[in-house]
Order: sequence, then C-alpha cells, then structure tokens
Amino acid sequence: MTNKPFDAEAHVDAMAAAVGLAIDPAHRPGVIRYVRFLESVHGRLADFPLAEALTPAPDFEP
Amino acid sequence: MTGAAATAVEIGAAVRRGRLTAGAVTEAALARIALHNGAINAFTVVTAERARATAQAIDRMVAVGGDPGPLAGVPFAVKNLFDIAGVTTFAGSRIHADRPPAAGDATAVRRLVAAGAVPMGALNMDEYAYGFTTENSHYGPTRNPHDLSRTAGGSSGGSGAAVAAGLVPLALGSDTNGSVRVPASFCGVYGLKPSYGRLSRVGMMLFAASLDHAGVLARSVADIGQVYDLLQGADPLDAGVTARPAEPSLPLLERGIGGLRIAIAGGHFAEHGEAAAHAAVARVAAALGARQRVILPEPERARAAAMLITASEGANLHLADLKVRAGDFDPMTRDRFLAGALIPASWYLQAQRFRRWYRDEVARAMADWDLLLAPATPFPAPELGQETMTLAGQEVMIRPNIGIYTQPLSFIGLPVLSVPIEGPGLPFGVQLVGRPWGEAALIQVAAELERHGVVAAPVAPNFRP
Repeated sequence: MTNKPFDAEAHVDAMAAAVGLAIDPAHRPGVIRYVRFLESVHGRLADFPLAEALTPAPDFEP
Repeated sequence: MTGAAATAVEIGAAVRRGRLTAGAVTEAALARIALHNGAINAFTVVTAERARATAQAIDRMVAVGGDPGPLAGVPFAVKNLFDIAGVTTFAGSRIHADRPPAAGDATAVRRLVAAGAVPMGALNMDEYAYGFTTENSHYGPTRNPHDLSRTAGGSSGGSGAAVAAGLVPLALGSDTNGSVRVPASFCGVYGLKPSYGRLSRVGMMLFAASLDHAGVLARSVADIGQVYDLLQGADPLDAGVTARPAEPSLPLLERGIGGLRIAIAGGHFAEHGEAAAHAAVARVAAALGARQRVILPEPERARAAAMLITASEGANLHLADLKVRAGDFDPMTRDRFLAGALIPASWYLQAQRFRRWYRDEVARAMADWDLLLAPATPFPAPELGQETMTLAGQEVMIRPNIGIYTQPLSFIGLPVLSVPIEGPGLPFGVQLVGRPWGEAALIQVAAELERHGVVAAPVAPNFRP
C-alpha cells in the first residue's frame, strides 16, 4: 500500500465542511497554502517513534 | 529621576521615601508618551485619568507616612491582551474592540498596582498574538525606537518599543513561541519569560493555552527581578499556575555566578543565524567563562510541534468568529487561523505527545547544567514589510524564521531571560535558558552581566532627552 500525496485542496474542502467553516473564495488560496505548510510540518513528526506510555502533554486535575 | 532613563526600582525607592512625587513621575511619562508615541505607535490606549488618580492616591499615602510598595509611582503599560479595568481588551483585533470594557484588572496588573505601580495604558501587538512583527493592519505597525523603518518585533511589539523608547520603564507582555523575547531582542531590552505555569494568566487573553506565558520587559535586571517577584504566587482563578512556593530573585542579585554551571547551546542554536547573533552569544559566554557546548535533541521537530499546537489551539479559540466574520480578522493572521481550524486531531495529539518526549530528553541533556546560552533571534530587527533576506548565502523568508531559537524553548516551558547586547548597529538578544523553575538563577546571572557592562539596555539614542 502506498500513501497518496497530500491533497491540500480536498483536505480544506472536506475539513471545512466537517467543522462548519464556509471559507470565502478570496481567502481559500491562502488557507490552502498554509494547510499545505502545516501538513509538511506534521510530516516531521508523523513517523517519529513515540513510546505508548508517552501521553499528550496537557494534564488535567479533577 | 522623572526622566526616560530612570528605572522602576529607582523611581519606586524615591517615591516611597518622599523624595519624588508619583504625580511628577506620571506627568513626565504622559508627556513622553504624547511627544513620542506618534513616532513608534506603541500605545493603543493611554489611561491618563486613571494614572493621575492612582498617582494622587500614592502621594497622599506617602504624605501620611504610608508605604505604597516597592513600585510606588512607577509607570507601566501592558500588551493590550491584559485586562485593564474600564478599558476594552483589543488583543490586537478589531473583533474584540466591539466588546465591553474589562470589568477588572488582570491578576498581573492588579499585583503591580498593589505594589504602587501606575498603569499608563495598553500596548500594540500582532492580532491575537499570532506574529513576530507587530505589523497590525487595524492599529498600524509598531516601529522600532532604534530605527523607525524597522519592526519592534512581536507579538509584544508595543511593549518592547515603549520600554526601549523610555516611555515607561517596564511593560507586561505574553510569550507563546517567543513573543516577549523577540521584541526584547529587536528593541534592545530585557525580556523575561518565566517557566510555564509560574505566573497567573487570569485576565490575559489567551492564544494557545498549552504554550502561553505572561512575561515582563524592562531596561534593568533589578526591575525584571522586582516585577517577577511581585507577580509570583498561586492564583485561585488559574488552575494552570504552579502550587510551588514563590522563589524570589532579588536576594540573588548581588551574589555573582559562583557555583552555577553554564554552557552554550550548540547544534541548531549555533547555526542558521547571522554572524552577529552568534558573536553576541560568544561575548556573553566569554564573560561567564562558559566553553562547553550542549546539544538539545530535535529542536526542529520541537518547532514543528509548537506550530501545530499553536495553530490548532489558536484557531479553536476563535472558531466562532472565523465562522461568521473571517473578513474582520487581520489579513496578516486570517488565513493561518482558518488553516489551523482544519488540523486533524491526530496531527495535534502527535505534537502533544512529542512535547512529552522532548521535555524528558531536554531535561536529560541539561542535567549537568544550570543555564544554557543561545541567541534570541537569528538576525536583528528587519525592515517593516520586508519579506525575505539573505542568510548564510541563502534567501529565506523572514517571518517564519524569526522564532527559530525561541520556539523550541518555550515549547516545553523552560524559563528564559533575553538579555540585550548593544551594537555597533542594531541590538541583539541572548537567551539565558534555565531549567524548569530556575528563573532566579537567570536573573542572578543577568545581574552579573549587567554589573560588568556586558549587557545593557539604555534608552534608544533618538529618544534620549
């Protein structure tokens, strides 16, 4: 199985619909550009090995 | 003593002893703001009426033998994301300008006022703290007092500029990825970002709660220490504030650096910047006798994780407004906020789990050291509007690179004090990086550097009387 290349435009359309965000066509190119950047940023972390015991950093005290 | 160069500690001592009135100090500060703010655009609101009333109350108290506190009559101002009673908290936005005035002071403001300080107003910033240049489309750019064509840094740019121009001796800022340390570096002043959770954020508009810190900018180490000591302490309204007892820094000011183990951050922190940035670190290292280099693991990944957490939490905080009035956001932040709202949960959570890993690994790397040295910014203040620059022979985007040295440190809440190195040319900041809860040692070392003239934060030349 190979990973498909990230499709920033499809991601923006799908996630914006899921979140309930109507993105103005004038803002869309900039949003797509930054989502593409964030995906590349995530790429630096995606395969970084983290032990299962490493929980997300924020703590919560009841 | 009423002049631009007076420090907060000097003013406080003089007013407390009745040698100077808070009224005179306040009028002098108001006059400086009236004269110079047009040039640097640091203040968005001047609270002259409250300042005068506060000063009168202090002078009355001193006249009857009372003690207003160590900051008696000291003018201060705050980034406009801190609540000031009766003033609308813009947080750099047009959207929040529609909100009613704050009902009370932020905890940090309240603690300074309780120590006798006089609130002069609110200071410009990047919208919702999402930027490093204070090029705010709603309220105009803040200009660097050392060169008016250049940025003061951000997002606490108004705080850096107001202090560097001597309009006030101290200002509050906030730091999520470098927003106290960047303006401190570009404006040539001291900027303290304490450990994550050390200071209350109640009444401070958040940006990315996982990473937000309150901080302080000033022109003397004693002022930084005094304010830091006053701001410490639990806050029942902020569950994120540590229950650790306050650890005052002032008793350490005269102690020197004996016994402290100081090294230089190598690798990432010794690369990527202009030669002058690394020369500034070398100058501080030589003064402190620091020779050994310590490599922190994976700082580039730390930056990546900090970016994702910031984008995601920031967008979530403003999602309701992004849905109905995205057009009212500053074009400098809007697309980034919108994009942040579209981050999958797994990207965000991987970043938060990496944060745990990175904290543990950095703790191991720093185990034998009390303090590391690193540049605060890779270059001095760029021109306003400048998009790219040549760095090590390569053309790089400026704004995404301003925080390369600050972001990997605030990401895990390490305490950092940026200390100013004077030119030739523009000032540069050097980060004194402590272990968690090690703020007092940073102030202790900075005091030693200040005593020996290695670091200094004089009022910017164009603003000296």
